Amino acid sequence: MNLQSRKYVSIIMFLAIGIIYISRLFYMQVLDEYWTLRAAEISEKRKLVIPPRGHVVDRTGKLVVSNKPYYNLMMIEKNIKDLDTVALANLIGWEPIKIRERFKEIREEQGYDKNPKTGKRDLPRYQKVRPYVFVKEITIDEMAQIAPHLYKFPGFYEELSSMRYYSYPNAANILGYVSEVNQQEIDADSARYYRPGDNIGKAGIEKYYEKELRGIKGVNYIVTSAMNNELQPYANGKYDIKAKQGDRLQLGVDIELQVYGEQLMQNKRGTIVAIEPSTGEILTMVSAPTYDPNLLVGKRAIQTNYPKLLLDENKPLFPRPLQAEYPPGSIFKLLQSLIALQEGRITVNTGFPCNKSLVGCHNHPNARSIIEAVQMSCNPYYYQAVRRVIQPGVKKNIYADAEYGLGKWAEYMHNFGLGEKLATDIPGVRPGLIPDPNYYDNLFPSKRNPYGHHRWAFSTIRSISIGQGEVKVTPLQMANIAAMLANRGWFYVPHVVKSIGNKGSEKVFLEKHQTGINPQHFEPVIEGMRRVVYEAGGTARRARLNDIIICGKTGTAQNPHGEDHSVFICFAPKDNPKIAVAVFVENAGAGGTWAAPIASLIVEKYLKREVTEKEREKYILEANFMGKTTKSNTANE
Amino acid sequence: MSRETAYRNNSLLGKIDWLILIIYIALVTIGIATIYSTAYNPEHPSLLSFSEKYGKQIAWVGVSFFLGFLIFLIDTTIYQKFAYFIYIFCLGLLVIVLFMPPVNGARAWLGIGSMGIQPAEFAKIGTALALAKFIPSLNIRTLDSKSVLLSNIIILIPMILIILQPDAGSFVVFTAFLFVLYREGLSYDPILLKLLRFLGITRLKSTWVGNHFIPLLFIVIVISMAALLTSNNIITFESLPGIELPGMYGVLLFFFSVFLLLLILVLIFTTKKDRSKFLLILIFSLGIVFSIVIGVDRMFQSLKKHQKERIELFLGLREDPNGDDYNRNRAMAAVGSGGLKGKGYQQASLSSVEANHVPESETDFIFCPLSEEWGFIGSGTIVLLYTVLLIRIIVIAERQRSSFSRIYAYSVATILFYHFAINIGMNIGLAPVIGIPLPFISYGGSSMMSFSVMLFILLKLDSQRIDILQ
Repeated sequence: MNLQSRKYVSIIMFLAIGIIYISRLFYMQVLDEYWTLRAAEISEKRKLVIPPRGHVVDRTGKLVVSNKPYYNLMMIEKNIKDLDTVALANLIGWEPIKIRERFKEIREEQGYDKNPKTGKRDLPRYQKVRPYVFVKEITIDEMAQIAPHLYKFPGFYEELSSMRYYSYPNAANILGYVSEVNQQEIDADSARYYRPGDNIGKAGIEKYYEKELRGIKGVNYIVTSAMNNELQPYANGKYDIKAKQGDRLQLGVDIELQVYGEQLMQNKRGTIVAIEPSTGEILTMVSAPTYDPNLLVGKRAIQTNYPKLLLDENKPLFPRPLQAEYPPGSIFKLLQSLIALQEGRITVNTGFPCNKSLVGCHNHPNARSIIEAVQMSCNPYYYQAVRRVIQPGVKKNIYADAEYGLGKWAEYMHNFGLGEKLATDIPGVRPGLIPDPNYYDNLFPSKRNPYGHHRWAFSTIRSISIGQGEVKVTPLQMANIAAMLANRGWFYVPHVVKSIGNKGSEKVFLEKHQTGINPQHFEPVIEGMRRVVYEAGGTARRARLNDIIICGKTGTAQNPHGEDHSVFICFAPKDNPKIAVAVFVENAGAGGTWAAPIASLIVEKYLKREVTEKEREKYILEANFMGKTTKSNTANE
Repeated sequence: MSRETAYRNNSLLGKIDWLILIIYIALVTIGIATIYSTAYNPEHPSLLSFSEKYGKQIAWVGVSFFLGFLIFLIDTTIYQKFAYFIYIFCLGLLVIVLFMPPVNGARAWLGIGSMGIQPAEFAKIGTALALAKFIPSLNIRTLDSKSVLLSNIIILIPMILIILQPDAGSFVVFTAFLFVLYREGLSYDPILLKLLRFLGITRLKSTWVGNHFIPLLFIVIVISMAALLTSNNIITFESLPGIELPGMYGVLLFFFSVFLLLLILVLIFTTKKDRSKFLLILIFSLGIVFSIVIGVDRMFQSLKKHQKERIELFLGLREDPNGDDYNRNRAMAAVGSGGLKGKGYQQASLSSVEANHVPESETDFIFCPLSEEWGFIGSGTIVLLYTVLLIRIIVIAERQRSSFSRIYAYSVATILFYHFAINIGMNIGLAPVIGIPLPFISYGGSSMMSFSVMLFILLKLDSQRIDILQ
């Protein structure tokens, strides 16, 4: 037995292990990517940096919406040691019991992942080593009180964050508000931008321009320890993505005019909408009563203030300019005139007697032309003129004839931006209502007696001729009508944002909408509107301005539950108009008495930057219609 | 002047095996550098900050050098003279340590705090000396089962005392001595023959299996371990999605490639006469290997869930229920992420003590920061250094004139090999996670000093090999 040869057993064993290990190391370290990725997964934390939201300025460049710093109180459960719940509760001003509840709440908020073993969603996403927001939105002053004591609570620390700040306590209905994203919104977002706790625009332009305002989240890759302590930026920040603040939005809104409009509407319910006709930019959009947008900044404020605003009987959260649908009343006569002229059913000099047996009217001379009809707002005139439009005599059967006529009429109305959503850049627009033949065919006045196909004619639906009955428009649509009239036949969809960053407004707002009415048909109507304000028989003498020619039309919506609603639309100056206004004041009485002077003050303020009609201003500011409740309304004059 | 006198007149240093000494110093230096990088404390930046681990390690190295110096002064005859005494002294320490307060659940430390020593580390030297003294007294040619049992008992006593601590790592390391027994011809044949005679088979004078029992057992264990470690893996192919193979096939493929390689060698280097014999052996061994792999795999898969979990836990394959993640995975991520050139000195993002993703990164898992910072160039160098060191020790062992020195040298080689193979193996997923240090590199006074003393005694014995005849 040669034992010496047994040395080769050892040598081969050593060599074999050496070769196997070197091959294995070469494979693991040089060839296989897996362990490099696994190492990154273990040691690098992808830390998202939430960018500040974009600022908002008004048309003159004044800062309207910005951000202000706040603190969040953060918590990492693994680092918490011997937590004195009562002391912590005292420090942050909570009930001690809330502390435990908050821990539970955070756990629940993170949700659960599907467990591959059981198939149920029962794997908590919550991790003890991760930081979570324990208390949101602590002001700098509050933090100054808390911070010196935080050292007593290991596992808790403060983190700077930013929240919305609205420089003016105005324009809440335009700006909207921002709040924490909810689960539906997270699920609906296919780009997976949001995580629980992120903010999202909930209303107004904050919602409509959410994508532009939110900016681009930054990503910092950080090397972390096993205890999740951050050690250093990975690769000196080579792969980091810098957070980018959201785009700056420039509003078409003139914030000073907005402030003034809201002042004028104090102690009143109603709206003012002003548009620059040449661009469709909304200059002012007042929804009265309103609220300070700063009331809805931050989770805590929203939790206390939102329910209050929601339950307020004056409904400050209700966006009247976009969602209140009123019968337009007499201002509708302007559109009826245009359609009748364009269809050739009347001419400029067509006259109709003021026959009060057809429809009620006030006392005035017979209108001998369309100009006088507008000036005097003669109900019987429009009854007869619109009958010619609805029953043009094209078809022998009067029902078929009415179907044809109403179809044409409705088409014009849709061209005016009525009866369909005027898709502005504030979410939640209502379409109003323009009845078409299909509508009446399916209308059920009572369940047993529908109108049905060919069962109605002009006489059935005559109230639409004076803007009553089924017709409904929103204040935004009224203002757009004024702008369309100012432009003599076209309009841009009204919008509040003039420019996103430097890119201009959205493309849809640069699309010119033609109404199909020849420009020459506007002149008599506009002359009538001038006379409404400036001639003896006009209904809006209180809207007169000395050196600016305002063209307008009043409306008065009858309201069986209280005072009438006061309506006025206008534009100014007559030539080359700069502003178109619609004013609606609930329960205020005749259009000429309240809505007209308010509109004139807005026009003067905008065009001259100051108001000379101090008497008129005082008269409006002192008016108070808040006590006069209203539940429904109808319009007539 | 005769050649021998020339040796005698030469200085001591002239007869030292310089290759081993250089590798030793290289490994120790790498160890200190890695500990400095891993455990770096910016408040004590000096390498000689004795409050920090790097400072302490330098102190241990200093002590080790001093001990080495003493060893070179002392005459080698005392090891032979006092071998049993040293062995019994070590056993005494192993007994005493069992009455010490436990540290991290094991009664492995003798002394107070950081100044403690681990008797298990020194017991390796004691056992090596005892074996070196005991085995030459036996007559290999007329070996009986009593002698075999007695030499095994020398190994077994410290093992039992160590498992009582409990220290599974050192326990496993003591089985390295079985290879020493094998080299010295202490086979298990007498026991096997007795067993066969008991069964009525009396014809055989010796058996191949009995003679080569140790390496065979080792091979079976290694193959089984590989099969176990890969049993729950699934091999997927990036280029062929949808195709999944059990991990076992990877092992089979490995052995099949080895088989093919050997086949080619046999075809090239053997004469026609021998060829059929070699081919038969090759095919037979491949069959055995495949049946072991498939058998272990089937056995493991047929286990009940909780039994499987227990084995996986032992092998470090499963997440420790009390820990954050399983150490092996972290260690492999650290090693694997090193790439070719590494992340740079002091740039370990996983295995620095500060990051702490890899536990024990300055002791049992020190190969992690080393590989992470120096990449394949560093880790490959370490493996190479150890392999050269181990083979060199075998070469030294074989040139000894005395059995005592040879047996001692073999002990040193196999002990170092076990530490090297298991420690690095567990860092790269080829060995179960058994907490034993990487010799000369890992932080720790006991291991530093015991391995140094072990090596210095070897160097001393070698330097006097001309004088030692017994």
